[in-house]
Amino acid sequence: MARSVKHSANRPPTPDEDVRDSPERDELTLGEIINIKLVESGEKENLMELVRDRLVESGWKDEMRIACREHVKKKGRKDVTVDELIRVITPKGRASVPDAIKEELLDRIHNFIRSAAL
Amino acid sequence: MSNVEDNKSSHDQLSSQVFLDLVDSVIADVASECHRVARLGLDRDLEVVEEELRLSVEARAKVADPSNNLETNTKYVVDIFGQSHPPVATEVFNCMNCGRQIVAGRFAPHLERCMGKGRKARAKATRSTTASQNRNSRRNTSDNNQLASGPPGFEENVRKA
Repeated sequence: MARSVKHSANRPPTPDEDVRDSPERDELTLGEIINIKLVESGEKENLMELVRDRLVESGWKDEMRIACREHVKKKGRKDVTVDELIRVITPKGRASVPDAIKEELLDRIHNFIRSAAL
Repeated sequence: MSNVEDNKSSHDQLSSQVFLDLVDSVIADVASECHRVARLGLDRDLEVVEEELRLSVEARAKVADPSNNLETNTKYVVDIFGQSHPPVATEVFNCMNCGRQIVAGRFAPHLERCMGKGRKARAKATRSTTASQNRNSRRNTSDNNQLASGPPGFEENVRKA
């Protein structure tokens, strides 16, 4: 009979939903709330697609890929990690987004925030 | 008024944050893609560049190294089995004419002497009974050989030797 006792039976009991948890919800930052709303409404996905398309069209992605290749050439292709590549290209990437694209995106995000009535 | 401005600036900040978040996602995508290409060796150009770099470093080392006899090195090609052949064939075998042991790389000059172009060889041939026949056939074949193989001045050089 002892054998039929599964290991899962030994786990500690699930903690009850604590009253303490709900106040934490009020402590969500505004940014987090916005993010949740963006995701829930599907607007985040729309924005992602828009950003990707624009950045590819403008050649930004190609520039980033070239920068990655340069780094890989230096470090040797067997040694690079994803984190390293991200670290290397992020400053340049953020800075080299064309202004028009940045404006367009900021506009849309602004509109969303306003319409989310916050 | 200040409220609106506050709102606006915090909205701006929020928008910037969202925007940066989006850009960071795309950056992460690009990095991940490039990482994959790099680790899988899919970037042929990269490989070619690496290979060329390596070869040029090797070539430079070879040129700089004075102990290398550059001429023999260029002839030391490696075939598909990984064997390298010395420029001068070193195998030794027996000459079918005179029966002596000859190094393969020296066989052609040996044959020249052994078969008939040289003074001593001609003298040997005249001693046999079918001397004139042999001499004629040998001269014909050696003439043919010379026509086939050598440049115009070759025959004269050969006769001088």
